[in-house]
Amino acid sequence: MDLFRLTISTLLARKMWVVILLVALITPVVFPLFTPHETNASLLEPARAQTAWTCAWVIGILWTLSQAARFGESNSRSGIGSYFRSQGLGSLRQIFAIWSAIMLFLLPVVLIAIGTCLLFAMPADPQEASMWVWTNLQFATLFLLTIGPLALLGVGLASRFGALVGYVAPTGLCLYGLYGVTYLGMTIRLRGDNILLEWLYAVSPQYRLADLTPRLIFKMGHLPWSDFAGFFLYFLAITLVLGSFATLLFRTDPLRN
Amino acid sequence: MTPTARESPKATVKLSQGLAIGYNSLLAEVTEDIPLHNGTHYLLARNGRGKTTLLKTLAGLIRTLSGSFETRGLCQFIGDEFCFDRELKSRAVFKALIPAARREDAFRLADRLELDVGKEFGKLSFGNKKKVGLVVAEFRLREGEPNLLFYDEPFTGLDTPAREVISERWDATENQALRIVSCHPDFDSMAMPSALLISEGRIFRGGDGNLTWADFKERLN
Repeated sequence: MDLFRLTISTLLARKMWVVILLVALITPVVFPLFTPHETNASLLEPARAQTAWTCAWVIGILWTLSQAARFGESNSRSGIGSYFRSQGLGSLRQIFAIWSAIMLFLLPVVLIAIGTCLLFAMPADPQEASMWVWTNLQFATLFLLTIGPLALLGVGLASRFGALVGYVAPTGLCLYGLYGVTYLGMTIRLRGDNILLEWLYAVSPQYRLADLTPRLIFKMGHLPWSDFAGFFLYFLAITLVLGSFATLLFRTDPLRN
Repeated sequence: MTPTARESPKATVKLSQGLAIGYNSLLAEVTEDIPLHNGTHYLLARNGRGKTTLLKTLAGLIRTLSGSFETRGLCQFIGDEFCFDRELKSRAVFKALIPAARREDAFRLADRLELDVGKEFGKLSFGNKKKVGLVVAEFRLREGEPNLLFYDEPFTGLDTPAREVISERWDATENQALRIVSCHPDFDSMAMPSALLISEGRIFRGGDGNLTWADFKERLN
């Protein structure tokens, strides 16, 4: 609990969270105004939803993952990890203390994204509105199941290899899972005979499945519950894999020791 | 600062003969059984002889090469690199890590040490950064329980008045904790009532309770 409190205090002291919250609050209001909404008012609401969730992704990737890397490195290099371990706080409890503090600061961003969609982009039709709520809740769940394990991996990697590796590797994995696998899938469809690429595609993290922005923009409704359950279990499995890697990699003191 | 007079259960450290420390190769070995009890015990050795390694071994951070030791008490290892985020103020560190009931005393000790608790950690001088770690460790002692404090060169960068304040605190609370303090004293008259020495690959106890740093220097050379 002490390490969790110390991490919270540090995040508060860095004050970047103020900027993050302001960005999360303001961009979904301001950016949609750049659309030609005067000629087509129906553009405004989907644009708000899109901006709110895009903003959450950007914050998750740029801020949450970078903080995870920074804390992972500093915990092992500042002697704080050794200090807490000497007090009986093991590696597992340390990594989760750091991770949960970081994730606590991401939660308001997710809540703001949901709030923006529900308050400023809610469809008027009651049936659509109900679907809208569920789509947002599904999105929030999958979003957290994407960024959360990557942040955990960032802490683990950074504690062993430094903040640069701890940030670049999870970020690269996230961007690859969001965008790269789509191009890989297209390449496979075009070529159709490359087993290696097919194998790579199969083991790649399909983070694109967690991005429900198109469903919000085009009002496609929430994911069918059977699909959502499948996605949920899939991301849970990724969480287990990345979580295991992260906890195995995590060090409470620098590598030289 | 009003140190609690209540006596805690005794903390103990027992280094058994044959205890060997080091990372991959042997750094030093205990040549006789060394039992330690509450109070302050200085750990003296020249550079690279295994002071930090011994403290880390006792704190359970690294394994022994052979032999055994016993500790009784809640341990705190304060390494020489112990530091906090540069944007964090000492006040916030104390609030996060020191129980509320003891925080006022911690601020009082910080005041006596002339530590500006409102200043960001990154803006503190080297000596003042050391003070933050010292205050945190001192006020995280658990009352009514045996406590072990392993300090790795806590005096580096501290001026004499600050060192005297710390020594006073240690004297006043010697019944609450067993402290092992590695250091390079820089004035000969510094009292060393109990000292562990590492020299020529041997770890042994030195002193009869009345020696000073000047008396030990010869043995380490």
